[in-house]
Amino acid sequence: MAQTRLGRNENISGWAFIAPAMVLLGIFMIWPILWSLWMSFQTGRGMNMSFGGLSNIIRLTEDPIFVKALGNTLTFLAIQVPIMIMMALIFAVMLNSPRLRFRGLFRTAIFLPAVTSLVAYSILFKSLFSTDGFVNASLIALGLSERGVNWMGDPFYAKIVIITAITWRWTGYNMIFYLAALQNIDKSIYEAARIDGIPAHAQFFKITVPMLKPVILFTTIMSTIGTLQLFDEVQNITLGGPANATLTLSQYIYNLTFRFMPSFGYAATVSYVIVVLVAILSFVQFYVARDRK
Amino acid sequence: MTNTALLKRATTLGLGASLLAMTSAFAGDLNVWAWDPNFNGAAMNKAAEIYKADHPEFNLTFNAFSREEVEQKLQTQLASGTIDGLPDIVLIEDYSAQKFLLSFPGAFEPLTNAFDYTQFADYKVALATVGSETYSVPFDSGVTGWFYRSDILGEAGYSAADLENITWDRFIEIAKDVAAKTGKPMLSLDINDPGMFVILLQSTGHWFFDENGELDIVGNEAFKAALADYTEILQAKEIYKPVSGWAEYTGAFTGGDVAAALTGVWITGTIKAADMPGQWAVAPIPRVDGVEGATNASNLGGSSWYLLTSSQNKDEAKAFFNDVWASNIDFYQDILVGQGAVGSLLASREGAAYQSNDDYFGGQAVWQDFSNWLGQIPGVDYGIFTYEVRSAIATQLPALADGADLDEAIEKIEAEARVLTQ
Amino acid sequence: MTNRSLLSFVQYGVLSVAAFLSVFPFFWMVVGATNTSADIIKGKATFGSNLWTNIVNLNAQVDLPRVLFNSFYIAIISTILTLVVASAAGYGFEIFRSKARERLFGGLLLMLSIPFAALMVPLFIMFANAGLINTYSAIIAPSVANIFVIFYFRQATKAFPHELRDAAKIDGLKEYQIFARVYFPVMRSTYAAATIIVFMLNWNNYLWPLIVLQTNEMKTMVLTISSLASAYTPDFGVVMVATILTTLPTLIIFFLLQRLFVQGMLGSVK
Repeated sequence: MAQTRLGRNENISGWAFIAPAMVLLGIFMIWPILWSLWMSFQTGRGMNMSFGGLSNIIRLTEDPIFVKALGNTLTFLAIQVPIMIMMALIFAVMLNSPRLRFRGLFRTAIFLPAVTSLVAYSILFKSLFSTDGFVNASLIALGLSERGVNWMGDPFYAKIVIITAITWRWTGYNMIFYLAALQNIDKSIYEAARIDGIPAHAQFFKITVPMLKPVILFTTIMSTIGTLQLFDEVQNITLGGPANATLTLSQYIYNLTFRFMPSFGYAATVSYVIVVLVAILSFVQFYVARDRK
Repeated sequence: MTNTALLKRATTLGLGASLLAMTSAFAGDLNVWAWDPNFNGAAMNKAAEIYKADHPEFNLTFNAFSREEVEQKLQTQLASGTIDGLPDIVLIEDYSAQKFLLSFPGAFEPLTNAFDYTQFADYKVALATVGSETYSVPFDSGVTGWFYRSDILGEAGYSAADLENITWDRFIEIAKDVAAKTGKPMLSLDINDPGMFVILLQSTGHWFFDENGELDIVGNEAFKAALADYTEILQAKEIYKPVSGWAEYTGAFTGGDVAAALTGVWITGTIKAADMPGQWAVAPIPRVDGVEGATNASNLGGSSWYLLTSSQNKDEAKAFFNDVWASNIDFYQDILVGQGAVGSLLASREGAAYQSNDDYFGGQAVWQDFSNWLGQIPGVDYGIFTYEVRSAIATQLPALADGADLDEAIEKIEAEARVLTQ
Repeated sequence: MTNRSLLSFVQYGVLSVAAFLSVFPFFWMVVGATNTSADIIKGKATFGSNLWTNIVNLNAQVDLPRVLFNSFYIAIISTILTLVVASAAGYGFEIFRSKARERLFGGLLLMLSIPFAALMVPLFIMFANAGLINTYSAIIAPSVANIFVIFYFRQATKAFPHELRDAAKIDGLKEYQIFARVYFPVMRSTYAAATIIVFMLNWNNYLWPLIVLQTNEMKTMVLTISSLASAYTPDFGVVMVATILTTLPTLIIFFLLQRLFVQGMLGSVK
C-alpha cells in the first residue's frame, strides 16, 4: 500500500476506525496494568492501603506459598506443554496420511474436547477421579492397582490429574493448527524424499517439523501464556490442594484478594511476576526458533 | 443494518432483565445465606415456618452456597462497597466472626439492644462482640463427639465403656484392632481439611495465637502434642479411608464404608439421613496425652447469624429473631432432635428433648451427653486469621503423613502462616 | 506383517485410543445425568433411571431460565460488540496503513502477553468504585476490545479487494458506509467464523464473572455448575445435567458449523 496516497481525510478515517478499540484497550488494559504496577508498591489490608516501598517484593522472597505456586506453574508448563505439542503433532501427521480411512471421524473425535467449557470438563474430571470413582474402579478391575490411587490426596497424583485434564482439553485444539499447516506443505517434497529413500521418521524430523516451525512456535507461545494463567481447572478440580501441590499463580492472586484477608498490593506484585514470566518466555521461544533458521 | 437492529433488540432485552432483577427484591422478603440445607438451612427454614404461623405476610428465602463461597461473596461485596447482592441475614462460622467484624466495620448491624444477651452462652456472645457492641444471633455449638457404629465396634468386642476417657494412642490401638477384625477403617479423612487437627488442638485449651493475637506455633507445646497425635493417625493408614471433599467424607460413613465420624454435633442430621436406626452411638472424643488441662471435649465449627446494615428489612428481621431464636424453647428442641443443632440459648437446654433418649442412637441419652461435654470445652480466642493458619497447616499434612520431621513441619507452618497473616 | 501394514496398524490403534479417550468424558457426562450422585462418585458407567429426578432437582435448585438468559445475554451482547469494534479496527489498520498505526499495531502484539490475572485486581477495584459489581456491563465492557479478534480481522482484511472500495468511493459513499454496506457483506464468512469463536469465549468465561457476578439471579451457567459442584453436599447427578446444558450450545454450533468453527479458530494465525 502506498502511504503517499493517504490524504488528510483518509488519515482521519483510519484513526476513527481503530479509535473505539484503542480507547477500550486503554481503559481496560493499559490503565489497569499501570495501576497494578503502582499498587504493587502499596501495602495494607482491604481498601486501606499505604505506600510500602519494596516491602511486597521482600514479602515475595520470604513467601513459601508463592514459591510453591511458581514452582507448580512452571512444572505444569515444563511437563504438560511438550507432551501435548508432541501428541498433537503425531496425531496431525497420522491424520494427514491420504490413505487413512475414517479420517473425519477421528479428527472430529479428537478435536471435540476443545469445544467444552473449562469449568464443565474440570467437573467431569473431578468426578472421574474421585476416590471410588470411575478411574480407580477401572484400575482395580484391570488389576493395575489394589486399592485405587488417592488422586486428590496425594501431591504427586493430584498434579498428574491436572496435567491429564489439560492435555485432554487442548491436544485436539493444537492438532487442528498442525493439520491446517500440513495441508499447505507441498506433497512433492515428500515424494522427492521417498525417492531418495529417506525413512518416514526422518521425514517427520527433517521435513515436517521444520516446515511447521512457525505454527509450532505460535501454539507453544499460546500454550505457555495459557498455562501461566491456569485457573479454571485447578479451582474446580483440586482447589489448589493437596498441600498447595496444584496451586497456581493465578489462583494465589485470587486467594490473596478474595479468599484470605484482602491484600491488593501484594496480589498485584504476584501478578507482575506472571507478566514478567510471559514476556521472558515469549522472548526466549521466539529467540530459540529464530536462531535455528 | 442487521447489527443495529440486533443491538436494539438486545437493549430491550436488557431492560427486561433489569426489571426482573428489581421485582425479586421487594420489601418483606428476608434473604438468608447459609451452607448446609440439611442443617443450618433446615433450622432457619423451621424458624421461618414457626414465625410465619403468626405473621402470614412474612417470607424468608434461604440460599445455599458452600461456606467458602458465602465468605468469598461477602468479602468481595463488602470490599467493593456493593450492597445490591448482599442478603439480609448471613451465617458466619465462629472462626471467621472477628475477621469480618473487624475488617468491615459498619457492615453488620449491632444487636446489643435488640436482645438480652445474658440468655445466651457466654463464649458465643464474646466471639461476636467488638468493643461494647455485639452483632450476632448466636446459633449452634460445634461440640464434638465420636459418632460410631455400635454394631461394628461391638463385633470387634468394644462396648461404650471401652471408649470413654481414653487417649489418642488408645484410639489408634482400638481403630487398628477394629480394622483387623472387621475390615472397616475407623474414619474417613480428607487430608486437605485440617478440621480434625483443630479438634485436637482446641481440646488442649490452646490455639494458633497467644493472648495478644500474635502467632503462637513454634514453641507451643500443646500445638506440638496435638500435631504429634494427629500425625500418628495420618501414619496409621489402615485406620482411615482417604477421601476428597465433603460429599466423599460423609458418603464414607453414611454408606457404611467406615465405622465412625469424629466431628461436631451438627453432623447428626447427616447421620440420621442415612437411616440406620439403632446402629449408631456416640462417645466422647479421645484426649491429647501429656498436655495439662487437655480434656475429652472439643469444638469444631459452630456459627451464628448476622444481620447486615444494608438490609431493608432490619426491623422485621429483629422481630423474627426475638420471637423465635431468642425465646422459643420448643423450636430449639425440634432442631436439636431433627438436625443435631445444639443451640446457644441456655434456657433451651432445660427443654424436654435435652433430657430424652434417642432411639436412633440405641436409646442413648446423647443430648445429655453433649450438654455435659459442652460444659467441658476449653475456651480459646479464635482471633481473625483462623483459615489462613488452617491453610498453612494443611500444606504440611501430606509430608507429615509420609514421615516428615515434626519440628521442621511446625517451623514451616509458622513461616507460611506469618506470610498469610501479614 | 509388512512394515507398511504394521505402521498403519499402529496408526489406527493410536488414533482409535485417542478418539476413545477424547469422547469418553462426554459419554460419562451423559451417563452421569441418568444416575444418582452416589452412583457417580462410585464410578458407575452404565445408564441409570435417575434422569428425570436429576432434572427436577436441578430445576428446583436453580432458576434455569434466568441463568440461561444471563449466559446467552452476556455472550451475545459481548460477541456483537466485540465483532463491531474488532472488525472496524482490523479494517482501520489494514486499509489505512501509516507508520504511526503500524507502530501501534506492534504495541498490540506486546499487549498480548498481558495475562488477565494481572488485570483482575485493578479491574475489580475500578468496577467496584463505579458501583458496577454484579452487573452485566462489568462482564461485557472489558471483553469487547479483544486483541486476537482484531488480529483476525486484520489478517482477513488482506483478502478484501480494494477495487470494491475504490468503486464505492466513486459512487460517493462515505467511509463508514463503505464499511457497513460493502465490507460487511463481502466479509460475511469471516464474521460468521469470528462470531462462533467469540461467542464460545464469552459463554465459557469463568474467572472474571466469578469475581463480578455475586447473586444467583446474575450467575451464568458456567458459574452455576461450578457452584453446584462445590456445594456443601453436591448432587453430582444434578451437576451432570447442568454440565450438559452448559456444553450443549457450543457443541451444537460445532456440529452444525464445523468448517466455520475451525476457520475461526485458525483465523488469527497465518
